[in-house]
Amino acid sequence: MKEFSYERPESLDEALQVLAASGSETEILAGGTDLVIAMRDRYRQPKVVVDLKRIAELYPTLRWDGDTLTVSAAATMTEIANDPGINKHFPALVEAAVVVGSVQIRNRATLLGNICNGSPAADTAPPLLAYEAVIVVAGPGGQRRVPINDFIVGPGKTDLQEGELAIALELTTPTRMLGGAYERMTRRKGTDLASVTLCATVDDAGVTQVAFGSVGPRAFLRTDDTGVLADPAAPKEAKAAVFEEIFADASPSVRSMRASPDYRQAMLRVLGARAVGRAIERLQELQGVS
Amino acid sequence: MTSNTYVGSSPNRVGGYDRVTGAQQYVADIHLADELHAKLVTINESKARIISIDTTKAEQVPGVRLVMTPDDLPKPMPRFGPQYQDRPVLAADTVNYYGEPIAAVAADTKEAAEEGAAAVVVEYEVLPNVHTIDAALAPDAPLVQDPSLRVGETFANTNIKTEINFGWGDIADVEADADFVIEREYEFPMVTHFAIEPHAFIAQPDGDELNVWSTIQHPFQLQKTLARLLNIPLSKLRVFAPDPGGGFGGKQHPKLEPLVSYMALKTGRPVRLIMSLEETFQAVRRPSTRVRVRMGLTSDGMMVFKDIETNYLIGAYVDIADRVASKSSYVAAGPYKVPVVKIVGRTILSNTAPTTAFRGFGVPQITWARESTLDEAALELGIDRFEIRRRNVPEKGYEFVPGDTPADGEWIQTIDKAAELIGWDTPLPEGHGRGVALGLKSGPTTGLSYSTVRLLADGSAILFSGTSDMGQGARTVFAQIVAQEMGIPLESVNVIMGDTATVPYDQQTSASRSTVLMGTSVYRACKDVHGKVKAMAAKVHGVDESGIEVDGGVVRMAGEDLPIMDVVTAGLGPLGGEVIGNGEMRKDKVPGHPLAGSAAFFEFNCTAIEATVDDETGEIQIIKHVTVGDVGTALNPQQVHGQDDGAAIMGLGHSLMEGYILDEEGRTRNLGAIDYRIPTSKDLPIELISASIENHDGPGPYGVKGVSEGSLLCTAPAVGAAVRDATGLIIRDLPLTPQRVWEAMREQES
Amino acid sequence: MSELIEIEATINGRDRSLEIAPNHTLLDVLRDQLGLTGTKECCVVGECGACTVVVDGIPMNSCLMLAVEIDGRDVTSVEGLATDGHLDALQQAFLDVSAPQCGFCIPGQLMSAHALLQSNPDPTIDDVHEALGGNLCRCAGYLQITEAVLVAAKAGKE
Repeated sequence: MKEFSYERPESLDEALQVLAASGSETEILAGGTDLVIAMRDRYRQPKVVVDLKRIAELYPTLRWDGDTLTVSAAATMTEIANDPGINKHFPALVEAAVVVGSVQIRNRATLLGNICNGSPAADTAPPLLAYEAVIVVAGPGGQRRVPINDFIVGPGKTDLQEGELAIALELTTPTRMLGGAYERMTRRKGTDLASVTLCATVDDAGVTQVAFGSVGPRAFLRTDDTGVLADPAAPKEAKAAVFEEIFADASPSVRSMRASPDYRQAMLRVLGARAVGRAIERLQELQGVS
Repeated sequence: MTSNTYVGSSPNRVGGYDRVTGAQQYVADIHLADELHAKLVTINESKARIISIDTTKAEQVPGVRLVMTPDDLPKPMPRFGPQYQDRPVLAADTVNYYGEPIAAVAADTKEAAEEGAAAVVVEYEVLPNVHTIDAALAPDAPLVQDPSLRVGETFANTNIKTEINFGWGDIADVEADADFVIEREYEFPMVTHFAIEPHAFIAQPDGDELNVWSTIQHPFQLQKTLARLLNIPLSKLRVFAPDPGGGFGGKQHPKLEPLVSYMALKTGRPVRLIMSLEETFQAVRRPSTRVRVRMGLTSDGMMVFKDIETNYLIGAYVDIADRVASKSSYVAAGPYKVPVVKIVGRTILSNTAPTTAFRGFGVPQITWARESTLDEAALELGIDRFEIRRRNVPEKGYEFVPGDTPADGEWIQTIDKAAELIGWDTPLPEGHGRGVALGLKSGPTTGLSYSTVRLLADGSAILFSGTSDMGQGARTVFAQIVAQEMGIPLESVNVIMGDTATVPYDQQTSASRSTVLMGTSVYRACKDVHGKVKAMAAKVHGVDESGIEVDGGVVRMAGEDLPIMDVVTAGLGPLGGEVIGNGEMRKDKVPGHPLAGSAAFFEFNCTAIEATVDDETGEIQIIKHVTVGDVGTALNPQQVHGQDDGAAIMGLGHSLMEGYILDEEGRTRNLGAIDYRIPTSKDLPIELISASIENHDGPGPYGVKGVSEGSLLCTAPAVGAAVRDATGLIIRDLPLTPQRVWEAMREQES
Repeated sequence: MSELIEIEATINGRDRSLEIAPNHTLLDVLRDQLGLTGTKECCVVGECGACTVVVDGIPMNSCLMLAVEIDGRDVTSVEGLATDGHLDALQQAFLDVSAPQCGFCIPGQLMSAHALLQSNPDPTIDDVHEALGGNLCRCAGYLQITEAVLVAAKAGKE
């Protein structure tokens, strides 16, 4: 890969100064599982690489404050998957985190890096959308909070402006009872990139959220507040009709090597039903009625 | 009485220590003083006419020492290849496949070589390409190879390279005897070896000598090729062949060693080219095939005739493809008694990665078609799929190819064992399906292996053997033979391979030949030592040689048993020394034989699989995978299992997930590990059982036959049959990805 | 354009002061700068695991790490498993069960297994499959590698 300057700021202020000075030809290094490949392929050729892993404010990587969890930009998939609090309150996020690559990849790949990289197939995007995560962005003018649905813009594109750094992600435990589940479709059982990613949450008010990705320019979040999906007794045809509306904006690429548009559309519906089914089971467990 | 027996034991792998400590030196681990790093220059096309190559900018990159283009090579462009000398050292005038090297840069550092290669400017004109069988065979199809390079060939003005005809009898005579005739066509995709070690080459000029390191499986063939191209005597051209990190046939024949050698000679410095995984995928693959099978059977399932047409899409240069086609087509009718057989085999050129040898050598592709067609026939006839095979499999000694090597095993035992292990007669759980397939591959038809054993004064031994140990465990089995015959501990046997200057000639490592051919040579070298020991004993003890026997590590004479080293030490006397034995195993060409000789043995395999299919997603789960082979003798059972398990899983690869995806211009889109899927530890069958039938009836030492390809032959048809059994789906192409199965389900519904 | 960066790291138990080019990966530095060729290069996209090393007890793909990132950290590669030429239990188990065939994937498999047993001394077969799921093998079909890890785990308990 081409040469570059390597910066390793030790505070957030220092990091922001470096970003302000180096301008647009800068890349942020967290886990490196996307960036190093891109640099080696010369797809990205930064003049400056900013390693954020020594920024003091990013530690501890997971921090609870009342019912809000702050996940810093240095938190890896392994840390997410192993955290008891996340397992308890955000199980669908754990289900996604544990399938991002292999053990080696998960030990390096960060949750925030997965989102900032902006792949439409990012495994963690659907659960973060369904759990209504908020991205904390630091910039020259201070910090701002961006709901994840606004933060994700398109393929490889987020709401980050030049000179800004995504430093954390906030998840708040839902006030209502919520069951969530994550599903994905791959070509083999072993480590793979997903051709469909999908997360469903069902709450005790009968509201179902379905977030799905890898079938368009970004992951989408859709809501069903008719109560049909949340009702285990609802007839299959009624549920199918709701799913048709939910997936109406899916536009899988015809160029994709991983799966055809027809297969992806079909798997959205199959995985949607499975995820909703499991989310309902989880909700029932919480309610003590399983 | 031999005191120790290494035959049938599983001592720790010779060379294993270095493999678990990281000390093992593969080609890429070797560094030479003053070395240059090479990088290939290619263009993003399958077929193009090269107009110009501008090296000016590249030459200006600091650290770049050479930008080699065709202008730097002799004219006409030197060409090489194991069957036809059609492969140019660098693309000559036209690029014929995506990834064909046009030029190459040598520089002081890897980065400088990369920069240099990126700075070479190639002007070219895109030409129409062909990358499918139909496109290549269409009338007026653009030609992959210029007819001027194919003078005298029947098909020079087409993309057909060769057409071969095999068989016996006349179908017209027996057609009426068939109560049932079925005709089907099956396709097999482009797949690649994906050895974990990418190809790597180093060339080093050394005075008037040239040293070459390569991941090559056939070091002596490489030596021959380079000596001819470069006009260097064999005695001055030394090939080092460190144990390859996986070969599977992909590393058998020369590819980029000639280019790297020219670069080294031009610069006067060592040049190393370590290919990337992506470049390796562009360089080697298995022929993809379309096989048409028409078979006639009686209502009892007895085979009456087979009419088989095999079409192999072989890429831009022939490499060993004609041999793949002829050898596999020759036994396309399979391990069965078939009164009349007609086989037509065709190799077809294409603007795609050149094919080369790959485990199974054409037989997996044909077996997929034949066994699946037989299964369809069995279903229509209402005959159990194991039973129909039992009825037609030949007994040992039967010439199932008339006039040629007869069935060399009690194959019915292999079949029965597989049926027992899969539980064929036990109730099948709801939603499960089972399938079975038989496969047969010919071992080597010619061969030449020399070896030398040096029994040293302290009772240790050195064995020189030119076989390539790429994981199959050749070092270990040969050490076992020497230890067994010399009566010495295995740990004291040092096996030296991979150096054409010190190790005597071995033709090649392929066709699962080495335990039989080189093994026999090693055994004979040991016998040669025994002969000399006999003479020593006669001299020392004043006994006539006719009264002396040497058996393993024991010298037997006049009712006395002496350890071999007692005799050797006495015989060597105060000067010390050693006893040197040479062995030769030669299997000569048979003039007029379509394969230049009969098979030394067969690999016979029966694979049976139980699977479920998720009817919503199309995902296949292998519940139980049984593979049984007729091995003669398992010289090292642990290694036999290792090879069989590995081959079975590799077979699941092409059955379930592997295949090149080409774009509209024939360029491979899924180069590299992210989008070319091979099985991981999470893709295993729930249960995998490999077993061997041992009747000690092989031609090698102690009754061995060759192993290592058998378990790959039948995986695909057995998986396909299990899927069919579970769902009724008949899918005639691979891989059986979830999407493909799902599409077949949708078709079935409508 | 870019300068060499000075770092300190412990590599296979030895404290080292190194000058690193920022655009070299840890794999590059191990193999080309330190002569530790036991760690292998294959896919360089983090899929095959042939380059796996253990950093502060955590297994990672060295092909996707910039070498400068190991500053102040503890790195173990396959060369660091044996002590004074004596194989550790895992290496011995791999030998005894005939797990290495061509051997090219083995350093990576060993490092993933080493890290697993450090954190989970009594793994199930599924634990082993998951821990080694990022280490591709084309020769062996994984059965003997898995068995070797379980054998080593058992030996560690006795």
